[in-house]
Amino acid sequence: MTTAPRPALTETAAAGRGPAPRPAGTADPDGGRRVLRRRTYEAVSGYLFVAPAVILFAVMGLYTVGYGFLLSFARWNGFAPHWDWVGLRNYKDLLWQNPAYAPRLHHAAIHTLYVMIAVPLLTVLVSFPLAVLLNSARRMQGVLRSVYFVPYVTSGIAVFFAWQYILQPDGAVNSVLGSLGMGSLAQPQGWLGNPSTALPTMIVVTVWGAVPVAMLLYLTGLQGIDRSVLEASQLDGAGWWRTNVSVVWPLVRPITSIVVLLNLRDSLQGFQTFLVMTNGGPGDHTNVLGLEAYRLAFLKDLAPTLGLASALGWILFAAALVIALINLRVMRSKT
Amino acid sequence: MRTPFARFTPKTRFAAAAVVTVLSLSPLAACGGGSSGSGDAKSLTMWTFKQSHVAALKNAAAEFKKQTGITVTVQAYGPDDAYTTKVQAAAKTHDLPDVLEVHSDGEDFALGATGIARDIAKDVGADWSGLYQKGVQASGTVTPAHYKESIPSDSKSHGVKQGQRFSVPLTSGTFGIVMGNKKALAAAGVTKPPASYEEFLADLKATTAKDPKNGGVSLGLKVKATGLTWGLQPLAFGELGKEKYQALWGQDASTDFASPDGQKVLGLYSKMQPYWMPGTQTLDIDTADQAFAQGKSAWDIGGTFTLAFLQQNGMNPDDVMAFGFPGPAAGAVPKPALAPLALTGLAVSSTSAHPENAEKWMKFLAQPGVASKFAKDATEVPSTELGADAASVMGATLADMTKAFTGTPENTYDPSVNDFRPASYDQDSMAEILADLTPLGQKDVAATGKALAKLDNSFWATSK
Repeated sequence: MTTAPRPALTETAAAGRGPAPRPAGTADPDGGRRVLRRRTYEAVSGYLFVAPAVILFAVMGLYTVGYGFLLSFARWNGFAPHWDWVGLRNYKDLLWQNPAYAPRLHHAAIHTLYVMIAVPLLTVLVSFPLAVLLNSARRMQGVLRSVYFVPYVTSGIAVFFAWQYILQPDGAVNSVLGSLGMGSLAQPQGWLGNPSTALPTMIVVTVWGAVPVAMLLYLTGLQGIDRSVLEASQLDGAGWWRTNVSVVWPLVRPITSIVVLLNLRDSLQGFQTFLVMTNGGPGDHTNVLGLEAYRLAFLKDLAPTLGLASALGWILFAAALVIALINLRVMRSKT
Repeated sequence: MRTPFARFTPKTRFAAAAVVTVLSLSPLAACGGGSSGSGDAKSLTMWTFKQSHVAALKNAAAEFKKQTGITVTVQAYGPDDAYTTKVQAAAKTHDLPDVLEVHSDGEDFALGATGIARDIAKDVGADWSGLYQKGVQASGTVTPAHYKESIPSDSKSHGVKQGQRFSVPLTSGTFGIVMGNKKALAAAGVTKPPASYEEFLADLKATTAKDPKNGGVSLGLKVKATGLTWGLQPLAFGELGKEKYQALWGQDASTDFASPDGQKVLGLYSKMQPYWMPGTQTLDIDTADQAFAQGKSAWDIGGTFTLAFLQQNGMNPDDVMAFGFPGPAAGAVPKPALAPLALTGLAVSSTSAHPENAEKWMKFLAQPGVASKFAKDATEVPSTELGADAASVMGATLADMTKAFTGTPENTYDPSVNDFRPASYDQDSMAEILADLTPLGQKDVAATGKALAKLDNSFWATSK
């Protein structure tokens, strides 16, 4: 890298293109206009190059966010030409005021809380040991990594439908349990049909989909650990367990933080799996906040509840923001 | 170092940036206005949410083209929720078709209230509406009762005016039709439809005793309102009669779901508990019907429209025993009839470029000859009056179903009458509570009644 001062822009622009610069004191009006025109071209073309991104952000980002925020203060069914402004009523109705909405929301919030606690916890508990084992594999690490990543790349509507079949009364899970002599554990109403097992089953399916990315993040972290640190701990007499618990785990704590944050966010706002697999059922035993927002927006037979859905979306955003700030704070204090 | 761009002149760069900008904005421009429907005087587009109607509508469209030269393109989007979302999105992007198949006397009013469906009251004269069965001739019209329901600001149809008409009927029928697999029933000694709810329970007991795994009744309870509207409501009507049935949804604590009347009805409904097909609470309507067609259940609760789906899934309609949900023998209406109602209708989108052609197509579908062919092709009950030929046109099983329509005003359960419920009534939330009674077994009769009454009262409170 050179430390020599750069020539002035005009000199650079002129170098090798136009005639040699005139001696100082001689006026050249044509040259001045050319420079001005070139600058204008450059400025306009620069603006034009960034314009698509700026416009797309303004339309897709700022406009929709602003539109959604305003909608949360209105009553509208998505079709009517006018919004009815209701102020903070949507927020109040959802949180405590309206007996038709608030109890449902509270119930869904409890289910969501279970998911928010269980999914990040189980994801870390499964993905970290998996990543440690994969990192220590001497052969076929690439193949194994791909295999463990399959749930992530195949996750989607089709897989969730497949899970539904697997979990039915005559599905694979009950069949396997029966053939292993554990028929008493089988669920006669299916794993999604029993209110006691439906939510835990949904949590397991969600974890199944979340583990691959978490494992990959851990694997990246593990491969970045200086081997000399591990060797030093081994020289100090630490075994495999002690090394992983006392040395590796603290070193990958920032990754744990990211994994937890990502899964908390997905648990708080995600609803697709629940929509496809249970629709909040049986009864409302797997209804979660994200699904409730979707229901208010699209499954109310054209009732004017889009504003309520939007208000719930903003409540979820506020909750996600609080969680992110807490996470950031915890990260700072630990690292 | 020279960047790759350095070899371009400022003019070239300027032009490139302009092209990039224009190209990147073109998708946004596409989101703007634009015409809807086909926009061509000789073609129409029609959307439906009923896959089973597509072939029948296409056959009718071919005939329509021969007669008028107008091409009708039929497109299906399903299931119902996806269709509604599709219509919502299309309305926002001005991309609606000319004709929409809609749920009659509900969705059509909501679309009309928001300006998506055109008011066709002036165009549907007696010569047109007279083609339909008497009970559904005014379907799609805002009656005084419908107008009353639309008055609260949070009503789905708020904004409609009395006398407006937003659809004409296409198919008729009703919910609460029970279907039995004749072979499975015969194996358990059941050879004729039950005369009462008690007999029905006895038949269920017989089929589940014969085949504990596949002898039960399937119902798509994942679509939450099915248990409430297709099972409990006709049963409650049979047990209590019209007035006391309607009072269950009233504000009087002595007659609501927590009252002795409510407890009696819920107690009767809970007797279904041992006979549900395992896992029926995780199935939607189509998968529950599929389970029946595949022999995983001996009974299925649906509507007149179910037969078409069963046939699509390989079941011979002649193998199905069909009857209306039976009333209790000691009930106020031991043999309730089920009022036929328009199930689906046809609406013209307000942005159609050629509404006159759209109406021509809708009127064409109402002609008896066309409706007969449609009934055969779709295995549906058409709204058109087919006269004495109805049974031969629709087939024996479908004709059996229509026998449930015969009754007097006093003994006929009419699911289309809703004016006794609060305007903000949400049947899904009510049905979730009912599911806890049966098949989930999470609440007893008393707790269920109390919870239903409490929720219903909250709807009344918010409807004021």
